[in-house]
Amino acid sequence: MEILDKLKEKFEILQSQEKREDLALVGTTEKDLIPLLVYLKEYEGYKTLVMISCVDWIEEGKFELVYNLWNPSKKHNILVKTKIPREAPKFQTIYKIWPQAEAYEREIHEMFGVDFEGNPTQHEELILEDWDDIPPMRRDFDTLKYSMEKFGEREPKSGIIIRKQISEQYDEWRRK
Amino acid sequence: MGKDKNYFLNEKPEKMTYGGVFRKINDWARARSLWVVAYGTGCGSIELRPTFTSRFDAERLGMRMVGTPRQADVLIISGYLTVKTLKRVIRVYEQMQSPKYVVALGACPINGGMYYDSYNAINRLDLYLPVDVWITGCMPRPEAILAGFKRLQELIDSGKADGWKKYIENLDWYRENQRKIIKNWRMPNYNW
Repeated sequence: MEILDKLKEKFEILQSQEKREDLALVGTTEKDLIPLLVYLKEYEGYKTLVMISCVDWIEEGKFELVYNLWNPSKKHNILVKTKIPREAPKFQTIYKIWPQAEAYEREIHEMFGVDFEGNPTQHEELILEDWDDIPPMRRDFDTLKYSMEKFGEREPKSGIIIRKQISEQYDEWRRK
Repeated sequence: MGKDKNYFLNEKPEKMTYGGVFRKINDWARARSLWVVAYGTGCGSIELRPTFTSRFDAERLGMRMVGTPRQADVLIISGYLTVKTLKRVIRVYEQMQSPKYVVALGACPINGGMYYDSYNAINRLDLYLPVDVWITGCMPRPEAILAGFKRLQELIDSGKADGWKKYIENLDWYRENQRKIIKNWRMPNYNW
């Protein structure tokens, strides 16, 4: 693939693969990622940022950020990946290159706890209000345990009708 | 709740105007004109469109959608409730005028349904709001919803749909449960 060869000349490419006719994948270092994105946008016509995604590789101790770009004239997608350390994860924002990245980075900050330096709104709540635990999309977060502790058991243990149990609970509460 | 006291019920109302000589007549009339808040919390609100439009035509039973909680009698919890939505639902419910009824649709409000292990969806609705009629299914068809409303009409007719009374009597108990998961009662300022 032409574009992959060009990128290999100019940047440090750790992995590259042609997934489909309209989709290629490029892995690069943390340092080369932003120059690569700017190069793709300004010189190769990958004008649109489709989305930013994050993968938790807990065994390696890394988070992987995936930037999905789209070239409207060639009808071609490219995925640009990089790995950042999982302990105190930190990366640079790209919202000055694509303004829509602000919302994606805000979501990743909420769901994975990655700190995007320079993003002005990432500390505001997007979906989770009053969140009090580690970010929920990390793989070491036990969602079943959290749900049981916070929202109670799934059903009453004895199998009686819930409505009856509720009125019993009122009575118990009033007796206190 | 401090300065947001206008949004939520802060204390029990002193007197409830319900009952009296005309209770039976009023209940008979109420059961035949149920107005529903047009507010969908989850995937179940998809089933409400065919229920209330010409295909299944709930209006022949005297039911229709209204856009404001102040004029409505019934609040339908249509599907899963997240913590964020629960806060809005409580606000909507407390703005409705008594007598008011809650209908819970689908498996999720009963025991969490397929979202029972979600970090974000509550498991049991009746810890936070009184529910008069449960309609099971994932999701229930419009026929099941109409059957559920038929049941609600029977309950209202016989004076047994008293969830709103229970809510006021046990307001402290409900508040205690609500406070366990809603730490911050501040509503965001929607100005966009």
